[in-house]
Amino acid sequence: MRRQSVETLIAGLDAMHPERPFRVMNVCGGHERSITQAGLRSLLDKHIELIPGPGCPVCICPEEDIAQAIHLALNEQVILLSFGDMLRVPVFSHTEGPRSLLAARSQGADVRPVASPLDAVAIARANVTQQVVFFAAGFETTMAPVAAMVAEGVPDNLTVLLSGRLTWPAVAMLLSNDEQAFDALIAPGHVATIMGSDEWAFVAEQHGLPTAIAGFHGESVLAALQCLLQQRSDNRAQLVNCYPEVVKPQGNTQAQQLLREVMVVSAANWRGIGVVEDSGFTLRPEFATVNARVRFSELTDQSSFTPLAPPAGARCADVVLGRLYPDQCPLFGNECTPRHPIGPCMVSDEGACRIWMSSGMRSVDESKPTPEGV
Amino acid sequence: MTEEYISLAHGNGGRLTRELIDKVFVQYGQHPLLDTVNDAATMSLPNQTICMTTDSFTVQPLEFPGGNVGSLAVHGTVNDLSVSGATPLYLSTSFIIEEGVSMACLIRVVKAMAEAAHKANVSIVTGDTKVVPKGQGGGIYINTAGIGLKRTHTQFDIKRLSAGDHIVVSGPIGDHGVAVLLARDEFGLDSQLISDCASVYPFVEAIDTIDGVKFLRDPTRGGIAMAMHEMAQATNLSIRLNEAAIPLSGQVESVCNMLGFDPYYLACEGRVVAVVAPEVSEEVVRRWQVCEHGQNAATIGEVLPRQEQYHCPVSLVTHIGGERLLDELEDDPLPRIC
Repeated sequence: MRRQSVETLIAGLDAMHPERPFRVMNVCGGHERSITQAGLRSLLDKHIELIPGPGCPVCICPEEDIAQAIHLALNEQVILLSFGDMLRVPVFSHTEGPRSLLAARSQGADVRPVASPLDAVAIARANVTQQVVFFAAGFETTMAPVAAMVAEGVPDNLTVLLSGRLTWPAVAMLLSNDEQAFDALIAPGHVATIMGSDEWAFVAEQHGLPTAIAGFHGESVLAALQCLLQQRSDNRAQLVNCYPEVVKPQGNTQAQQLLREVMVVSAANWRGIGVVEDSGFTLRPEFATVNARVRFSELTDQSSFTPLAPPAGARCADVVLGRLYPDQCPLFGNECTPRHPIGPCMVSDEGACRIWMSSGMRSVDESKPTPEGV
Repeated sequence: MTEEYISLAHGNGGRLTRELIDKVFVQYGQHPLLDTVNDAATMSLPNQTICMTTDSFTVQPLEFPGGNVGSLAVHGTVNDLSVSGATPLYLSTSFIIEEGVSMACLIRVVKAMAEAAHKANVSIVTGDTKVVPKGQGGGIYINTAGIGLKRTHTQFDIKRLSAGDHIVVSGPIGDHGVAVLLARDEFGLDSQLISDCASVYPFVEAIDTIDGVKFLRDPTRGGIAMAMHEMAQATNLSIRLNEAAIPLSGQVESVCNMLGFDPYYLACEGRVVAVVAPEVSEEVVRRWQVCEHGQNAATIGEVLPRQEQYHCPVSLVTHIGGERLLDELEDDPLPRIC
């Protein structure tokens, strides 16, 4: 899309100038990155608020799962594999020992970043005398290739420490707790590619909120915004797929079939949020030999792991839930920086705080109302 | 030479060391001024101001599309002299080689150095070699020092920068960073992209008689974003870049999109950025566009009075017209690229 059509879009948005705040939540780190890197907020009417919500799998991965990964990594027989942005996420607990996978590595643990399940299989094949554990945290987009790997069969020395989550239940929980949590939703384009756009219809049908599936260019997000604003000015709410070239109503049914074959869905804990019904992936019993929590029985002792409260002042949970903008957390850019992250949102490239920091955003407007304060 | 790999004995000062010097560095790096017998090279300099610089080079992998650690070492040092307003003349080179490096690889590195030096018209006049045990080095490290003759008519000085100046770049950004990244083969991505690793001296020579050319910088580590930061911080000015004007190859753009990298922080090894008075920016672009590798030269931004409302002096007007701050680099965008 060229500049002229962007200008037309923005003019269209301006023409609809909302008279009261219109709070649009996104639940995908990729969308927050697109919005921030395109400088979209600087272009919009101040009444259009773009709120990053629970869209980062690293940010919501519960501390007990990371503690299990660290525990396994410290076993000399184990090579622990993880997606790279998980390595620096800190955990806070009473227990002694390293507080992140990176800290475990600096103490001699064999912790390696991987980019895909294929890497995990290759590393397991190349290290047959070692136990290789793949710490797989992620949303549906990540779980689908993990399911494919498990379904295809993995080397005997490879197990999976699964920490997978579904996206929509967290949004459902947000709305069931507070119908006013936001006014419209930009639904996640990547997740919808796998699971289908229909999965997001409940936001419009049950909660009456305009919903649009968006792609990942600044222009695509603008087009979705225009769709949402138009719905509001027409006083209607429906699900519109603004990313139809990639997202289909039914999604990728083959990937969904694989997920069903390999995993079951159950209640799961989200860091900063708590237990969300029907939101977690676990391996089916028939894949117990691939399950790290079965092979390493000592992990059951780890289930007693109780994380400490986050350091004083950290508002990670409020940021993840979209109740606070990143730069409204008192630690943002002060005690908590990408180099010295305190909360998980400052670690991952999908985390709102990290995205805002790396795009140079600081507390530029102290008087800005919080998303919940309007 | 019958040995196929570097051993510790190649660094013990004995027969193998002599053979290594004679059969690799002299044979493939041959230059009439390279003195392999005496402990110091002797050369004469005109009675003029000279510039001197030093740099160390490490890259993984050692060889990448468009160059290797040897050509990188020559170009890096030549470019530091060039953007300082000097004509590069002499280089020294010092190798730290890890036991187990293949002789064939070392020969390719030395040949690439010699070719790069020849093309850049500089003489490698002295060198040294050490071997470290396997596991104690990253294959080959190269340290170079360079001496150049200050070109009397150049007045590159960061103090000359003022609000209204234009920023001009000589070619697409990020090619080197992405080429090295893909050469690591960690992402399973195929690409035809080659590093921009080259001497920038021809670009400097093409414009350094223009009075309005105020300052030059080669945007290596940290990319153009950090080059802009260094200038903005040294002058207490701000710089605003225009995303739509910044030349970027389609391959760099798609790799960055896929892996979440920001091209403005990726290293270039053969590009140069100039800060020029607004009335000469078109002339600079015109002259650069006829240089080899310069066809995409463009004016990409301007110098502004310090924008006090932002904590960060470097910003970017995005494709869709939004404004984004380009903050100082926090973590390495890539594990280590130069």
